Amino acid sequence: MQGRNGLPVCVKNMSDNGKEKEQVTLTIDGKEISVDKGTTVLDAATLMGIHIPTFCWHPKLDSIGACRMCLVDVEKFPKPAVACATEAMPGMIVRTDTDEIVKARRGVLEFMLLNHPLDCPTCDKGGECDLQDNVFHYGIDKSRQAFTRRRVIDDQTTDAFDDKRIGPEIIRNMNRCVTCYKCIRFNKEIAGEYDLGAYERGNHTVIDAAPGEQIDNFYSGNVVEICPVGALTNTDWRYKIRNWKAKQTLSLCSHDADGQNIMLWHDQRQLWRATSRRNDDIDDGWICNIARYGYQYINSPDRLKTPLIKKEGKQVPASWDEAISLISKRFKEIKDSKGSVCLAGLIGGNQSVETAYLFNKFFRNKLHTNNLDYRLEYIDLKGSDETEAYNCLYRAPFTIADLEQADVVFVFGSNFIKDHPAINLRLRKAYRKFGTKVYTANPVETKSADISLDEMIYSPDTETAFIAGLIHAIIDNKYYKNIDETKAAEVKTMLAPATLDEAARLCGIEQERIVNLAKVLSEANNPYILAGDYFVASAKRHRTANGMYDLANLLGIKDSNAIILASQANSMGADRVGVRPRLTENLKKTLIDKWGEELPESPGSNTSQILNNSLDEEIDGLFILGANPAMRYPDGPFVNSALDKLDFLVVADLFETATSAKADVVLPLAGWAEQSGAYVNVEGRYQKFEKAQDADKGIKSGIEIIHSIARAMDLSLNLDNAALMHETKDIVDAFEREARDEAKFFEVKQAQIPEHDNYPYRLLVGNDIHHFGYVTEHCPSLMRFTPEPYLEISPNLAEKLGIDEETLVRIESTTGKLVLKARFSEYFEGDVLFIPNNFSATEVTGLVSREGGGWVKIEKLDDK
Amino acid sequence: MLKTFWDIIKTTVIALPIGLYTTFKHVFKKPVTKKYPKAKSEMMPRYRGLHYLERYDDGTERCVCCGLCAAACPADAIYMEPDENEKGERFAKVYEINMIRCIFCGFCEEACPEEAIFLGHEFELANDNRDGFIYSKDDMLVEHPRKDRPYKTIYRRTRRHSM
Ligand code: SF4
Ligand code: SF4
Ligand code: SF4
Ligand code: FES
Repeated sequence: MQGRNGLPVCVKNMSDNGKEKEQVTLTIDGKEISVDKGTTVLDAATLMGIHIPTFCWHPKLDSIGACRMCLVDVEKFPKPAVACATEAMPGMIVRTDTDEIVKARRGVLEFMLLNHPLDCPTCDKGGECDLQDNVFHYGIDKSRQAFTRRRVIDDQTTDAFDDKRIGPEIIRNMNRCVTCYKCIRFNKEIAGEYDLGAYERGNHTVIDAAPGEQIDNFYSGNVVEICPVGALTNTDWRYKIRNWKAKQTLSLCSHDADGQNIMLWHDQRQLWRATSRRNDDIDDGWICNIARYGYQYINSPDRLKTPLIKKEGKQVPASWDEAISLISKRFKEIKDSKGSVCLAGLIGGNQSVETAYLFNKFFRNKLHTNNLDYRLEYIDLKGSDETEAYNCLYRAPFTIADLEQADVVFVFGSNFIKDHPAINLRLRKAYRKFGTKVYTANPVETKSADISLDEMIYSPDTETAFIAGLIHAIIDNKYYKNIDETKAAEVKTMLAPATLDEAARLCGIEQERIVNLAKVLSEANNPYILAGDYFVASAKRHRTANGMYDLANLLGIKDSNAIILASQANSMGADRVGVRPRLTENLKKTLIDKWGEELPESPGSNTSQILNNSLDEEIDGLFILGANPAMRYPDGPFVNSALDKLDFLVVADLFETATSAKADVVLPLAGWAEQSGAYVNVEGRYQKFEKAQDADKGIKSGIEIIHSIARAMDLSLNLDNAALMHETKDIVDAFEREARDEAKFFEVKQAQIPEHDNYPYRLLVGNDIHHFGYVTEHCPSLMRFTPEPYLEISPNLAEKLGIDEETLVRIESTTGKLVLKARFSEYFEGDVLFIPNNFSATEVTGLVSREGGGWVKIEKLDDK
Repeated sequence: MLKTFWDIIKTTVIALPIGLYTTFKHVFKKPVTKKYPKAKSEMMPRYRGLHYLERYDDGTERCVCCGLCAAACPADAIYMEPDENEKGERFAKVYEINMIRCIFCGFCEEACPEEAIFLGHEFELANDNRDGFIYSKDDMLVEHPRKDRPYKTIYRRTRRHSM
């Protein structure tokens, strides 16, 4: 059902948690309606299609009745009542349109306009402002006040314009505020942040960040969107274009795997802003800053505009024809002389699922090689595919919205706010509204600490020991379900460390806490285990995944409730259409069916094998589409030498990157907003996005590039865009995962923790909270949040080493060294360091070895 | 039919002087045409000619680039790009009117909430170059301090005020 502003009414969502509710019947404007008990009069009216004006009401926030705009007349009430905070009662008789109500609402509006500067012409909210609409509707066009308006000027010494920047992106104009407190309520209720507050009272209320603070939380962009007036605006959309001039296109966030729905506003071949497009199944209408500002790289002036060809060691601009014919010639040569096993392809995780499928078809079906991968950021030493347990958990049929029904959620190895913004908010909602218990286990303290009942910090690289300990605890205390004692005893022998005591000692967490977690998980009706990026990035993730598999089987956890979360916008899509060396039987059958041809026989290589093989000169030609392993893949020196060794490297990308610098041919690639397609998010949900703008003349989409290379090689892919779309959708739909085998248990053996005597500190490398991948450094708004790389260090450790904030620190590992500015972490406490790998200026991955993650030593650089 | 002698007399000897009388009568009257371009006629007060952009008395531009004129324009003749000045205020970085498209309806003047744009009395818009018809902000902003051109009388304070 559609409600105000075209948003679906969420009466159901607000009032129930899967349970049937009692009904109440009331009369609104002479018509009867039955609604769930607990529904407000406002929601009931909205269900009937009756519009009641509001300011402070929001479907996803608790009602507080602050603005009084929604006044209605209720029979037997002495005064008009606020519809948004009055619960529907049986037999209530409500009128929304009496003269008295209209007068009352006009009165409210007049009070709101008391101090309002009426500067709509300069206000960015103009055209989509609730105050404008309501004032226009109630026809208040004359002022009756004879006194001067209050004007909040931040700096009293100047007569400067009244805007105050209260965060890297957020600008506040207090004159326009109607004190609905939506911004503050969002921050507290939804995001769990306390960086915005209301100071003073009544007429003098000021919405501001705490003194000396900024509002820079990860969801801060939402306050701009929910502010009903132009009191909060952002730099991104400041004085750019009028909203009625911009066209809107349905789109998706192109970065993380949650698939947050966004609306792109664009005009004149320029994207102007992104706003949320509420999807209650995924994001509830709240999007993170990366989804909101992360579109800006599309309009970056640094975009590649023409193909480059390496001539005498230098990349020079060339025409498309020249580039494509060179590629086809060299690929043909390699294929004819050394065989197709010497060709390989790597595709980035944020290419559309159609591109990924075409890429797969081109390599598998036309070039006859299985050397294909999309996992370009994580170490995978395990052979040509992940283990069975890992694959099974990775493809679990998880749904974000179902988290609300969880009673216990165990977050294992994830800083959710960073990796999975939408899942993080859903978890917070479950915690706040439905009392879900959250437990976390991470290598470092994270932002989720405030909702977590027990935040366990295991020592670096001991996640396998931790999960083995958990299994020990379950077996020792007989918490297991579905199996008998002999089986349990057998499972216990498959664990290393061999006892709970040893495991607890190794990972540095008290036994009781592990036992307690085991108990809580076993007692829960609907427990969840979610593993995120710390888990995925750990070197021995396969062993840990085995443990997670066993754990889920021991506790009889539902198939959909234990999942390793994918990390990029289309990781799941690439997985489903088979951009990986080994395919599931089911997928093989579908592909043979579609292509009418057998698939190539060779075992195929994954990313790390492709790089290894290139060092051994077993791979000569590599095509990298929209990815930057030289910057993102662990062990930079290794990746660089592997890429150098290649005979022929083609890189298609939006920007010149560390990888493209090594390429023989560089092709300019269109971004996601410049083509239409689909992404498959972490739940396996297929979602389409539309083309917002045409790419520059010299830029081609991945699909066009693959087609033209194929054509030049006389290989016809025989798929026009519509057919490609259908075929891809068919394959994604037909995907079937092998369900978890409840009777199967794997060995869980903690690996030897590598010797690192001289390198005492564990270095974690990953995304900065306001960056994702290697393109966000081309987004000016995100650069305002985090402008440069840094070394995140716990204040304790910093004090021990005499390091201050902003001091330069030399970080050294066996593989490389780096100098960076130190920054105190809000969360870290132990001897763990963090460096973001989103900045091309620093080669962070040089510090991380492929075998055992990064162990480093640091020292303060003398001031010079 | 053969014309009679009298017919010929009527059309020449009599009619000619009568006609010429009208002609000669006007030779001695004041002419109604103007010696354009040497002399130009004074336009009616509400004539809608070339647009101009007003300034405040202190010289700042009135236009804040709100886009309402462009929204009102039936011919889609107005293009603008806003920007932020040093004080953090909104102003028009680019403001252009395409005079080939403009139908001089004056809706932009009606729509403007800042009383920044007016249609003046200038009507000589001919040009031999299409680009010359795109009038930019510099072409339309009045000079400051204003020398001889008077402020336009505003004829539109007629909205009924009611509450
Ligand atoms: S700043 Fe906006 S959202 Fe916040 S209280 Fe004022 S009007 Fe409401
Ligand atoms: S006079 Fe009419 S047609 Fe011309 S620019 Fe103004 S609104 Fe547009
Ligand atoms: S001329 Fe007037 S209506 Fe047009 S943009 Fe400027 S202020 Fe707005
Ligand atoms: S919307 Fe009901 S009081 Fe604000």
